[in-house]
Order: sequence, then structure tokens, then C-alpha cells
Amino acid sequence: MRNLIAFFRRFQIFLVFAVLQVIALSTYMSYSEFARLQALTTTGAINGKLMAVRNDVTKHFNLENTNRDLAKENSWLRQRLKASNYQVQRDLITIDDTVFKQQYKYIPATVINSTYDKRNNYMTIDLGSIHGMKRGMGVISSKGVVGIIHTVGTRYSLVKTILSKNINIDVMLAKGGAFGLLKWDQESPRMVQVSGIPNDIRVKKWSRVVTRGGSGIFPRGYTVGHIANRKFIEGKPLWDIQVLVAEDFRTIQQVYVVKNLHLDEIEAMQNAIPLDKEENEF
Amino acid sequence: MNVFVANSIRFILFVLFQVLVLNNLEIGGGMYPMLYPLFILLLPFEMGTIPLMLIAFFFGLTIDAFSNTFGLHASSALVFAFFRPIIFKLFSPRDGYENIEVSSVYTMGFRWFLLTFGLLLSIHHIWFFIVEVFKINEIVLILRKLVLSLPVSFLLALLTQFIFFQKKKAER
Repeated sequence: MRNLIAFFRRFQIFLVFAVLQVIALSTYMSYSEFARLQALTTTGAINGKLMAVRNDVTKHFNLENTNRDLAKENSWLRQRLKASNYQVQRDLITIDDTVFKQQYKYIPATVINSTYDKRNNYMTIDLGSIHGMKRGMGVISSKGVVGIIHTVGTRYSLVKTILSKNINIDVMLAKGGAFGLLKWDQESPRMVQVSGIPNDIRVKKWSRVVTRGGSGIFPRGYTVGHIANRKFIEGKPLWDIQVLVAEDFRTIQQVYVVKNLHLDEIEAMQNAIPLDKEENEF
Repeated sequence: MNVFVANSIRFILFVLFQVLVLNNLEIGGGMYPMLYPLFILLLPFEMGTIPLMLIAFFFGLTIDAFSNTFGLHASSALVFAFFRPIIFKLFSPRDGYENIEVSSVYTMGFRWFLLTFGLLLSIHHIWFFIVEVFKINEIVLILRKLVLSLPVSFLLALLTQFIFFQKKKAER
């Protein structure tokens, strides 16, 4: 009898261990479905506040680079202003608003916490549901594509960066337009992979890889990076393409959230496609 | 100082140091030093395994909340707490653990600390990186992360005790 009680006591400890372990591991393994568990991420009120305070201290270390990037972008944008262009054909009417209507809006955000060396890398930005953020919106920086919003808090949101296992963003080659999917193998925070491009298509080294804009998350033709290396995959008619990412995730400070004004229409259109059993996770 | 108050303060300090300093080091090559297992080792000796595991679980969950890891640290801290009594029994000194409240390197000696904490920390790190990567064909990556992180974590834990626990030795 005493042995039985002793055995039960030992078993009890293991039982508590197993129950807690199942809770922890199931949360970790299926966090994409547990996106509502906001208190467990840096989008929570207290955690977000702490990260914001930390960022207030550390953002100054990178101020010089951030300023240079923003100044560069400013000068580029200034060049595109009407005021800095010389009108060649005087007698023509200027572009009417009915021809070009705005499709994408960009909302600037500050990165308050980010990683780049984990299996899946997330960053926290200082925009939340009160700013109109929604799960699945695209995030870009002045240099290139950054990621997709994964969890939305009241004032902060969590962005799944392209340095993640199953990010699967539609991309294409700027020249030729052959399209594939973006992947990451965790080797280096500067390199991502493009899969699904057949190897009878010519792929030039250092040519640009851009977004395809298929799902309306990113505008079409926005830079992802440049092809640094490509080789044949043995036994498959596909290229193994290594892409040097345009954005350096080790020093990222400022991003923009992409708001697509036509998203409802695109979604309604794509929902009309009959469903097959394809898992779509981001 | 009251044991409860001392451990509460330690709880906060260990979380803050892990979240604000170690999480932001990002040295590269997969190195990720973790100091927080030392907190679980320093919890009182006479504590039962179940309260120990509950404390470790919430401790890990707090760190998870700040590093966007969704229960990874909680799971690893739990493993550490589960093995603590087992390893302690394995390496118990000849006259047992009588009259000892806290298991620091000063009260137990370096050899004991190297064996118990080294072994517990190895279990913790192996569990952490296997669950994090969770792919058998990336075993090289797991090993690399392990080899880079484990010595740094251990040395950090040793250093922390040399810096902050000296006073206790003088009192004795």
C-alpha cells in the first residue's frame, strides 16, 4: 500500500509536468491559431509599453543610418513631385484624377522590437487596431518588403517578417515576370530563397526580384531583393535561387504598413474561385 | 531578507535582464545566451517539485510574453524545474543537504555547481533548441546553436554569482 502511495506521488509530479508541458508546447506549436492570445506577445498593453520604452533608449544608436535612409527616400520622392518636373508638352492637359485613382495607402510606423536570428522572426510596430491595422496587411520599408501583420493589439501589432519559415509571399522576376514563392532557410538574415521558377527560364545574376501583388497585400513590382546566386536543383526542373534582401533586418527602424483600398474587391473576386485543400498560413 | 521577497525581486531582475539585455545581443551564428535558469536553481531547497514547476512555468511564460516565443521558454523552464530534484538527488553530498537554504556556488562548492547546474542547463538548452527548430534534418543548426550558447550561458551564471552573491559569503 505504501508503495502504491509513493508511486502515485511520483506519478502526480509527472502528471503536473505533462499537463503544463502540453499547454506550453501546444501554444508554441500552433501559435498561428492562437493569435488571440495577445497577452503572450509584445502587443499586450504592459509588454508593449516596456518595449516602447526600451526602443526610446536604443533607437538613438541607429539615428545616423535612419536619417540617411529617410533623406535618400525624401530626395527620391521630391524628384517625382510635379513641381520638380519640367513640362515638355505645354498644350496638353495635365493628368486627370479619373485616370489614376489611389489604390495603396502607406502608414508610417516605428519598429519597437525585432529579431532576425530565430526560426520565425517577428517585429513589433507602434500601430494597432485604433489606427486601423488588420491581420494580413503588408509591411514594407523604404528599401524593400518587410513582412505581413500577424497579430493586432490595441496600440501595437506584431509583424511576421520575411525571415520566417512559411512566409510564402508571391514574388516575380522584374525582368521576364516568371513567378515563384518566397521562402527562408534560416541560414543568414541577408539571404532568402525563391522557389518554383522553372530552370528553362533565363535568370540573370543581380537582377531584381519584386512582389507580384497577386493577393493585394503588396503593390505590384515592389523590390524584395537581388538575385545573388542560382543553381539547379538536382532531379527537379527548378532553379534554387538565393536572393540578397534589400532591407537589412539587423538595423531596421522605420517601416510603412500598406493599406490596399481595393482589398475587399480582390477578396470577393478570389473567394469566387472554388476551394481546394491548400493550407494558407502566414 | 525574507525568502519570498528576495525571490520576487530576483524574479523581476532576471526577467528584465533576459528581456532587455540578452534578447537584444544578437551576436550572430545562432548564439543565444540564457541566464534565467539560474533563478530556478536559486529557488529554496525544501520547495516541493509541484510548486517549483508552477513557479518555473509562470516565470518562463513571463519571458515568453516579452520575446514573442509563445510558450517556448515556459516549456524549457518547466523541464529545468522537473529535473532539478532528480539531479540534486543524484549529486547529493555525503551528509545530505542539511542546513543549506540556497544552492549557490558559494554554499555548495564549484565542483557540485559545475555538475548539477551544468547538467541541468544542458538539458534546458537541448530542449529549448530542439523545440525551437523542430526539424531533424537541421540537426547541425541545433548543434551549432547549442555549442555556441551553452558555455556563454554557464559562464554568465557563474559570473552573476561571483558579482552578486559575495556579500552572503562574508556574512557566514
